[in-house]
Amino acid sequence: MSASVTTPDAFGDVPARRRLASSGDLFRRLLRRPDGLIGVVILVTFGLLAVGPDLLVGPLQTAVTAVGPRLSPPSAAFPLGTDELGRSLVNLTAHATRISMVIGLLATAITVGIGALLGIVSGYVGGRTDAAIMRVADFFLVIPTFVLAIILTSIIRDLAGSGAREVFGIRFGLIAIVVVIGITSWSSTARIIRSQTLSLKERAFVDRARAVGAGNLHIMRRHILPNVINLIVANAVLVFAGAVLTETTLSFVGLGDPFQPSWGQLLDASREVGAPSLGAWWYFVPPGLCIVVVVFAFTLVGGALDDLLNPKRRQRR
Amino acid sequence: MSGHYVARRFATAAFTIVLIVLINFVLFRAMPGSPERVLARNPNVTPELLAQTRARWGFDKPLFPDQFVRYVAATAQLDLGYTFRGRPVADVLAQRIWPTVLLFGLGEAIAIVVGLALGAYSGWRRGGPIDLVGNGVSLLLYSTPYFLLGMALLLIFATGLGWFPTFGMSTTGATFANPVDWLIDVLRHLALPLTTVSLGLIGQYAIVMRSSIIETLSEDYITTARAMGLRDGRVLRRHALPNAMLPTVTLVAINLGYVVAGAITVEVVFNWPGLGTLTVDALASRDYGVLQGVFLLLSVAVVLANLAADLVYGLFDPRVRA
Repeated sequence: MSASVTTPDAFGDVPARRRLASSGDLFRRLLRRPDGLIGVVILVTFGLLAVGPDLLVGPLQTAVTAVGPRLSPPSAAFPLGTDELGRSLVNLTAHATRISMVIGLLATAITVGIGALLGIVSGYVGGRTDAAIMRVADFFLVIPTFVLAIILTSIIRDLAGSGAREVFGIRFGLIAIVVVIGITSWSSTARIIRSQTLSLKERAFVDRARAVGAGNLHIMRRHILPNVINLIVANAVLVFAGAVLTETTLSFVGLGDPFQPSWGQLLDASREVGAPSLGAWWYFVPPGLCIVVVVFAFTLVGGALDDLLNPKRRQRR
Repeated sequence: MSGHYVARRFATAAFTIVLIVLINFVLFRAMPGSPERVLARNPNVTPELLAQTRARWGFDKPLFPDQFVRYVAATAQLDLGYTFRGRPVADVLAQRIWPTVLLFGLGEAIAIVVGLALGAYSGWRRGGPIDLVGNGVSLLLYSTPYFLLGMALLLIFATGLGWFPTFGMSTTGATFANPVDWLIDVLRHLALPLTTVSLGLIGQYAIVMRSSIIETLSEDYITTARAMGLRDGRVLRRHALPNAMLPTVTLVAINLGYVVAGAITVEVVFNWPGLGTLTVDALASRDYGVLQGVFLLLSVAVVLANLAADLVYGLFDPRVRA
């Protein structure tokens, strides 16, 4: 964001001075709230775990490298027990953290990217473009996107094959999930960004930019975008929570990848061997708790950011 | 409620349904190799049946307008094609819809009553013990995938305590002396999945209702009502609740589409023989005809529910004009 101040561009410094709240300031205020602090601490912890599961628990165990007894309860050697192949649940859950978090991150990037782009264009351009984009957004908001996501994921895999290609260390079959989450969940982001853009484009600095000859693209990129970036970040946090939940659910209905297990894939595997009926709680409680804690933390942080950015609600607290 | 408002709501609903049919057509017909993909994977398709289906769907004709028109006409007549086993998709859907309606309808009803009451009370007594506990629990429930909740309940109450059966809608192979015994059997099977669906939804509804009540309480007319010396209970029931309910109605309806995902997974956990298990089984065998039918059915149901919610909203909120 400092880039806009340092560029020699004639209009570059205008949004920097007019920015409604700086991101650093926002983050400091977030950490001063108990819900924000707790959420951030949890997320940093899981973030670190996601970066280097190999360092902590060794490489992902497979049917070949599994050493434990089958489906055994927690013991000294296996603190969280083992699965039906004798793999340690500590190992599996740690590696699943990486997969779930990376998929969540990629899906969030796509969702928020599409949503922010369409939201800014919709709000700024207005007229028929706006009406058309918002119609489509409403469509995705209303229909059961999960069923659509199931169908899209399996069609993409049928068409493109799920071979061993990898993107960002994620196998192609899972990348299909990432893309599908992005396609089906951008509409709430677009709506939020659009309404903020609608109010921004009436501000004096936009008129001023236009008066000195700035084009629409330039205004959207250099004047509107910097002013909605905080809103985008706050929304991205909530989108991440949703993306983790959606990925988990898609994996649970059988769209996960056993070679790159996410939390949802572990839960699906545990259901398939009948863990709840066998009383094998250690199989699904660790990945399950991870999901709940991470989604909870994202919801806390997202809610806190929302409060800080929404002056109407801030006043009333 | 003006006629214009009603007409617009109907137009939006119709537009959405048209889009859904269009998506179904594009995904299952217009994508490269789609019809062959659907048919060729099916071991039960004989060459004769293949030829017959091709002729019926008009695969020898161009995609547009011939195939498209045929597709729309067939869908309008509820001809949704055939499953892998050769049964009409519409029949299978009709058979599987009732367990889902039972589970999901009851779950929604319980969740709306309990969730809205909890949310309203929490918002009314903001910062009180019920609010703190209720809001925390709601947030936690909101963060928990439904099926995980279901697995936990299954582990504790069916496997651990043995109070409830672990799967299905009734005891397999059992015969019942009278309908009451049968009903009790079904209810015992229903208990855990129903609890799961209700708990999963209560969190969402309580959160929405709580913030709606808090928003409403800061309005000027509430201050006026208080200044007039009205008792607390009357301010809540006559002034705050009716106004806070309205946005909640819309949110409940919009959330329906999202909630469907949860219903699907809950059915899988408990082997409940509804649309959810049907979807997951169809997914495992890539039975696209069934998936397409489920998508169409659930989408239309959700769109109609939203239409109903919009009309109710218009009926109760005099501010809704255009």
